[in-house]
Amino acid sequence: METKALAVEGKRKSWLTQAMVLLILIVVLVIVTSVVNPRFLRITNILNIFQQIAILGIVAAGIGMLLVAGHIDISVGSQISWMGVILAMIIQRMLGLPEGNVSAWRMQLAIPLTIVVTFAVGALLGLLNGITVVKSKATSFIITLGFLSVYKGAALLTCKGASYMLFGKFEWMGRGRIMDTLPVSIMFFAGVLVIAFIVLKYFRYGRFLYAIGGNKQAAYVSGIKTTRVTITAYIVVGLCNALAALILISRNGSALATTGDAYALDALASVIVGGVALAGGRGNALNIFLGVLLIGLVSNALVIMNINPYARDVVIGLIIIAAVTVGSLTSARE
Amino acid sequence: MSAAQNILETVQLSKSYPGVQALDGVDFDLRYGEVQALVGQNGAGKSTFIEIIAGSLRPDSGRIVFERKTFAHLDPARSIELGILTVHQENQLVEELSVAENIFLYNLPRSGFGFVDYSRCLEAASRLFQELGVDIKPGRKVKDLTFIEKKLVSIAKACSRQAKLLILDEPTASLDEHGKTLLFELIRRNTKKGLSVIYISHNLGEIFEVCDRVLVFKDGKKVGTHEIKSVSMNDVVREMIGRSSTSLYTRQASAVQGDGREAFQVVDFHRKGVVEHVSFSVRKGEIFGIGGLVGAGRTELARMIFGLDPKDSGRISYRGQDITPRDPGDAIQKGIGYLTEDRKGSGLILVRPIYENISLVRLAMSPGLTMNLARERGETGDMSKQLDIKTPSIAQMVINLSGGNQQKVVLAKWLYAGAEALIFDEPTVGVDVGAKAEIYRMMENLAKEGKVIIMISSDNPELTAVCDRVAVMRDGRLIAILEGTQITEENILRHAMGVGEKE
Repeated sequence: METKALAVEGKRKSWLTQAMVLLILIVVLVIVTSVVNPRFLRITNILNIFQQIAILGIVAAGIGMLLVAGHIDISVGSQISWMGVILAMIIQRMLGLPEGNVSAWRMQLAIPLTIVVTFAVGALLGLLNGITVVKSKATSFIITLGFLSVYKGAALLTCKGASYMLFGKFEWMGRGRIMDTLPVSIMFFAGVLVIAFIVLKYFRYGRFLYAIGGNKQAAYVSGIKTTRVTITAYIVVGLCNALAALILISRNGSALATTGDAYALDALASVIVGGVALAGGRGNALNIFLGVLLIGLVSNALVIMNINPYARDVVIGLIIIAAVTVGSLTSARE
Repeated sequence: MSAAQNILETVQLSKSYPGVQALDGVDFDLRYGEVQALVGQNGAGKSTFIEIIAGSLRPDSGRIVFERKTFAHLDPARSIELGILTVHQENQLVEELSVAENIFLYNLPRSGFGFVDYSRCLEAASRLFQELGVDIKPGRKVKDLTFIEKKLVSIAKACSRQAKLLILDEPTASLDEHGKTLLFELIRRNTKKGLSVIYISHNLGEIFEVCDRVLVFKDGKKVGTHEIKSVSMNDVVREMIGRSSTSLYTRQASAVQGDGREAFQVVDFHRKGVVEHVSFSVRKGEIFGIGGLVGAGRTELARMIFGLDPKDSGRISYRGQDITPRDPGDAIQKGIGYLTEDRKGSGLILVRPIYENISLVRLAMSPGLTMNLARERGETGDMSKQLDIKTPSIAQMVINLSGGNQQKVVLAKWLYAGAEALIFDEPTVGVDVGAKAEIYRMMENLAKEGKVIIMISSDNPELTAVCDRVAVMRDGRLIAILEGTQITEENILRHAMGVGEKE
């Protein structure tokens, strides 16, 4: 028994150090960057960073919870792109942009309708992904790779290769600030993160996600409706993507067929770096937050330190590889 | 010491990990052609010892003397070169390749251009099998073999590398009686030719059948080495657990209540070719055993009862009500619990803490959005204490528990969910002797509380010691239900193997 007890303490320490390592990395990054360029620590830049990671964080929260259940969705980027195009198109049509002289009810209805439709589309895409993965019994990675292509093409078909401009309508979600200081998008990010925290920690549903990710067969034998829970997790991903698409298009003021594409990689990088186990069953909201923060900081630091922006993808890719390697080496030791 | 007849000796072998002395000054000797058993409870030092012999661990101090050559430590390649081969508990063969290819995988015979010479490979394998007395066609793919055949191939593979010393780690786990017989014959035939064997098992019956001597480990120390002929099982058990025990397990008075109408009735369960029209009924407070050989359809029957697998027909009624489940969720709602045979594969979430595992079924059944974490902690903690799960904290991951404690977590999960009828499928496989007795005691207490207990087991002494009645299955059929004095190991085995029946 003594050996066992010791082994556990050792393991728990190593888990602690994982979050610690991340924090140390973040602190080091902050110090180095602020020495190179003191502007980094200004309140405006810090708010800027959080505003930048807000969208990423919302996407990562969805993916993170799905990953806890042992599934992955790499189509999130093109989901966001497609929803972005759809929602921008609705706004443009409803408001008759660029002229904008439409009847009052259309003015009133445009934004609420857009928001409702976007979330509905998000839920539908999630449902479609979830049902296909569960029913095909295939690996979620490959199925969602297929959907990545489907949604990417659908986005192009929808906008016919052109872009939708919004001419300053629909700015609140992405550019609005509460009392002229705190960006609205950060509030959304915080809200989603808190919800993820509560769901994973206090909800039966969250516990089922851990159980399914930890051992699907045992979860099923224990009476958990594994199919339903898993599909719901995909729907949650779709809803997070819908919110992300709304904020993103609002911030950009226009939509292209590729606007959201990059979020898939960054969001995956964030949750993996954060320490959500790829195999499922482990990880929490703090892991997701720290991962997002690190990825956001790295992106911002590269810009602040005047490093070639093209180097960013190289760095993000290397971070993913490093994180997965460390993760698999530590789990191999168990 | 007559070193000439010893193939292997160790002198004061020690190994420690931070905080624990895994092996403490072990002197050991193994004769040529001897089968020596290593026994001891989990964590007693057996694994550490064989890993040092196999070269995958280095001792902190002590010496290893193999065929008069002295080593401070070995490494895996050196051990194999010396002729020390280990056959692990899990099958380590390549499923997609043929038997012959698997055997010679480390050094496939090659023809002219470096291509694999299959015919020579097959020939060599046949020759080897003939020598060893194994009856398997070397051209078959490993994935088409039965469990015992795979085990025999693994052993043959080890022997093909000029094995002088074979380490068998739980070789009979999941083998039926027939498989064991084949294995023991193989061991006997080859030890006569000088092969030495270190045999690790939890099953004393087998050890007394096939081994010459038995070494008992406890807390990293050697307690003693005995000639099998001059020691009894009870002596060995006593040394292993370090306290006296008059027998493996003694049953208290039976607690069967009520009559057949009150019972948990299993009616006409059938799936073509798997389970053939099986019916039986278990009364409240009864421990009902199901024996038979591996592959007789017992686990399949249990899975059908629990709603895990499809069935062509079959109803369950309890207290006169039909409770036939559609799926596991439904079975649980109706009070049926199933402790699966494969603890790690389908019983536990290994990477999650104990308390989450215990509360899982109850949580899956209960309505509502959120959980009461404080209550969960409290109640699962009580449950854990009640079943005496040995752990410093219920927040510990289940993966770190011993087999016996893991099994208790599975049981706790079903009890916490309030299951009325419990199906135990091979509940004591991989569980040490001490924990086994605890599990039997728990089953007995549950029966006393009026629960319906069904136990599937391949361990016949266990069935004999624990059950009120024992059903025996063969080829998907329920052959006999033994009661009272009819329940003997011999009877169970006879029915299971179809010996001495008029057909």
